[in-house]
Amino acid sequence: MSEPFDPADVTWSRVSPRLAAARITTTCIVFALPIAILVVIAAMTGEMWVWLSAAVLVLFVGWLVLLTRRQVRAIGYAERDDDLLVRKGLMFRQLVVVPYGRMQYVDVTAGPLARKFGIASVQLHTASPATTATIDGLPPHEAARLRERLASRGEARLAGL
Amino acid sequence: MKATDEEIAAETVDSTAWRRMHPVTPAIKGWKVLVAVLAVSWYQLGENLREVASLRDGHVWLFVVGGLAVVALVGFGYSALAWRATRFAVTDDAVHLQTGVLFRQQRQARLDRLQAVDVVQPLLARLVGLSELKLEVAGGSGSAVSLAFLKEADAEALRTELLALAAGLRRPAGTEPAAPAVPADPYTKGVDAPALDDATPLTTPFVDAPERPVYEVPMPRLLMATLRSGAMVAVVVVAIAAVVISVVARDVGAAFVLVPGLLASGGFIWTRVNQGASFRAAISPDGIRLRHGLTESRAQTVPPGRVQAIRLSQSPWWRGPDWWRVEINVAGYGHGEDQARETVLHPVATLDEAMAAVWLVLPDLGVEDPQATLDAALHGRDQDGGFTGAPRSARWVDPIGWRRHGVLVTHRALLARSGRVFRQLDIVPHERTQSLGLAQGPLQRRLGLASFVVHSTPGPVSPSVAHLDQKVAAALLNEQSARARSARAAAAPERWMTTEPPA
Repeated sequence: MSEPFDPADVTWSRVSPRLAAARITTTCIVFALPIAILVVIAAMTGEMWVWLSAAVLVLFVGWLVLLTRRQVRAIGYAERDDDLLVRKGLMFRQLVVVPYGRMQYVDVTAGPLARKFGIASVQLHTASPATTATIDGLPPHEAARLRERLASRGEARLAGL
Repeated sequence: MKATDEEIAAETVDSTAWRRMHPVTPAIKGWKVLVAVLAVSWYQLGENLREVASLRDGHVWLFVVGGLAVVALVGFGYSALAWRATRFAVTDDAVHLQTGVLFRQQRQARLDRLQAVDVVQPLLARLVGLSELKLEVAGGSGSAVSLAFLKEADAEALRTELLALAAGLRRPAGTEPAAPAVPADPYTKGVDAPALDDATPLTTPFVDAPERPVYEVPMPRLLMATLRSGAMVAVVVVAIAAVVISVVARDVGAAFVLVPGLLASGGFIWTRVNQGASFRAAISPDGIRLRHGLTESRAQTVPPGRVQAIRLSQSPWWRGPDWWRVEINVAGYGHGEDQARETVLHPVATLDEAMAAVWLVLPDLGVEDPQATLDAALHGRDQDGGFTGAPRSARWVDPIGWRRHGVLVTHRALLARSGRVFRQLDIVPHERTQSLGLAQGPLQRRLGLASFVVHSTPGPVSPSVAHLDQKVAAALLNEQSARARSARAAAAPERWMTTEPPA
């Protein structure tokens, strides 16, 4: 991690590696059907280029799997005294600082797949729709703890807009 | 149903405080239905005009007229029902509004969360001397409380009262909330709230805050400025293209392809002139007051501390006379179709007026010589005026504008400068910063650059500084969050006439 996205006095919390598993599952589900169709067509026609395109697609999925694992490792968040830091991205890096007093509300969401994997997302909302402070892949108890903590800290520093 | 209404409202509002809109309201709102139906059917018929022409022979037109009459009846009938179901009340802390014929809705807008108060007069309402009072609260799309329609004088009295209450003033002891001078009938109270018609004027114990005019836009300048806009350039280009096409193709019909574009540009120009006409700005203890509009007139009041960000922008066609367009972010404004009308602080400002507009929002810019700083911010590049510019390596990602990218942090605000052809300056008071962000793409990482973003409430201004040195950007992120915090602590109270923040 280069320096601007890694301030010296900050210890980052990582999200659960189960997020990678969940995202990889989604990727596999999305690509399973096209790959299956290609394989069936290839088996029926025996054309070489159809086999090749199926193989390319499989390789692409393999690359996505590796990338997803690295991406999930790049996600981090840190609770400082007055604000929350959220960091994400490998190629396109992003760092967001949200002061607790600016928070309007906190969302905790978990879809069916996320529940299966035992993870949840926490999203902070300020009065600005541009604030993209979403933390995916938190274990449910950590998500609940973070929500409570953010809410109580927000209340202590609450102000208008 | 009435009983439920009573129960909902009983807790907070004295049942005699409820009032209705002016009884002429349905007549004005009903027209909208008729106009909408006419517009839709015109649009549909426009495609088969020939068939319509053939209809003229029979008695079909009788059905058409009959149909229109039914539509009008339904429109006016529904508006009348809606008017009967609508009532509002003002208490010390909130405005209550009940609406809805089938689905009842009661809305309560807290006055300490008031972001702006507008008095809007659409053309038809203006002709009969009525206006709509719109209260903006920062609740997202559709959260405004609209009181339509009231008598002009009533709307203004109510605005005075709401602003005074929102400012933290209290009604003198013994006076009732601005109530119509009719005795409340004990048998119909709450159900038949008195209407604010001509016979029952509204009274308020407060007087309107004195105001001082700051600038107004002369019509010739507005017209000239609109003629020198991108839309006009488009019109000219399209016109030339039309002539060329019809000459080359030896067929005038080919030029008609360009008609939609011409209409769109014409519409844009008309909107700009219509909205900016007789634009006046004034300052008062209740904040900034703006008045403008040719057909639909609008009087806005934005209390102190409600402006979240300012943007000054200049297209290349305005560079000669050095004119600037000044826009603002106000929470609550900037949703839906009204955005372009509400968020303009100055449609076409000279340099001095642009500085005055900034002064309206930020009387203290936090620098020794605000004029020199703003001058450098508007016209300068590189390190002019103490700005921190983008490093030389930024020329690879923005070869034209990189020398204009710059940021200046004063005691009170953050100034973000950008754009060489389309010049732009964004100003965000420190205490209005929502959250901050840093972004870096692969190319930027290679060059050691990063973009700094300030998140503001929805509106025309989205401040950011692209391609700063990554160390500078990271330091800025750190310092700015601390600055926003301390500025926040020292900021004026939400209720602007009170000296200490409410408990």
